[in-house]
Amino acid sequence: MNEVTYTSPEELGRAAIRYFAQAVGDANPLYTDDAHAREHGYDGVIAPPTLIFETNQFTGLPRDADGYCGHTWDLDFPGTRLVRGGNTYELHQPVRPADVITVTWRLGKIVRKAGKIFVTSTATYTNQHADLLAVNEETLIYIPLEDP
Amino acid sequence: MIPPLQRRIDPAGMIAYAGATWDWHRLHHDSAYAVERGLPAPVVDGQLFGALLAEQLQDWLGPSARITRMSFRFRSMVFAGETVRCTGRVVSEADGLLTVEQQVEVIGDNPRIAVAPATSVVERRL
Repeated sequence: MNEVTYTSPEELGRAAIRYFAQAVGDANPLYTDDAHAREHGYDGVIAPPTLIFETNQFTGLPRDADGYCGHTWDLDFPGTRLVRGGNTYELHQPVRPADVITVTWRLGKIVRKAGKIFVTSTATYTNQHADLLAVNEETLIYIPLEDP
Repeated sequence: MIPPLQRRIDPAGMIAYAGATWDWHRLHHDSAYAVERGLPAPVVDGQLFGALLAEQLQDWLGPSARITRMSFRFRSMVFAGETVRCTGRVVSEADGLLTVEQQVEVIGDNPRIAVAPATSVVERRL
């Protein structure tokens, strides 16, 4: 399966936004103070820019043996270990507490180069009004175990 | 020059980030799991650096600026207890869009680049 869609069972919520900001150590009041956010053109608090790309809140998946509950493609490349290559985030509009987020993951190219395997996939995030919120292109790299 | 942002990534912060992102993978909080795999300590979730790079830009440009694009590559793992420093510079500015290049480096006993290049585009609203 090369495409999977998850819809969050609930609104993102203010607590999730405040929790993320506090965990990062980001004290920007845009994320916690409605009056401050309104002074700067928003209709209330917004989420920190990268929250939407990071939370597994939307997937509703159980934890696997390693404790992970996020999206995976179940790709198996024996004799390799997985590292994160990079991300490109497009932020189309600020994410707000009332957003009910749907994410669609699409598996892109799988390229072998210099003994490594590069897997690219794209996640597209929308809300319940079908507004495009953000796009995340992610590259994962499977490195041979014998490499340092 | 963009004012740098420096932060020590302590174990409690990593657990908080794992909780906030619903990512409870043992790699990010279980020391024994990390050591079994030849790593010195739990590995910091790479996308935390995206959050720090966004914080650095937003703190610098203020609440009226909005980040519209971020792109970054990971160069090396960062481990619990290490301190990172985000630095950056402006590459160009045109039509209210600012393009910046940032990086994240680990400072201390084992200095190295963690994230580079990191390119962002910020819209300056009135």
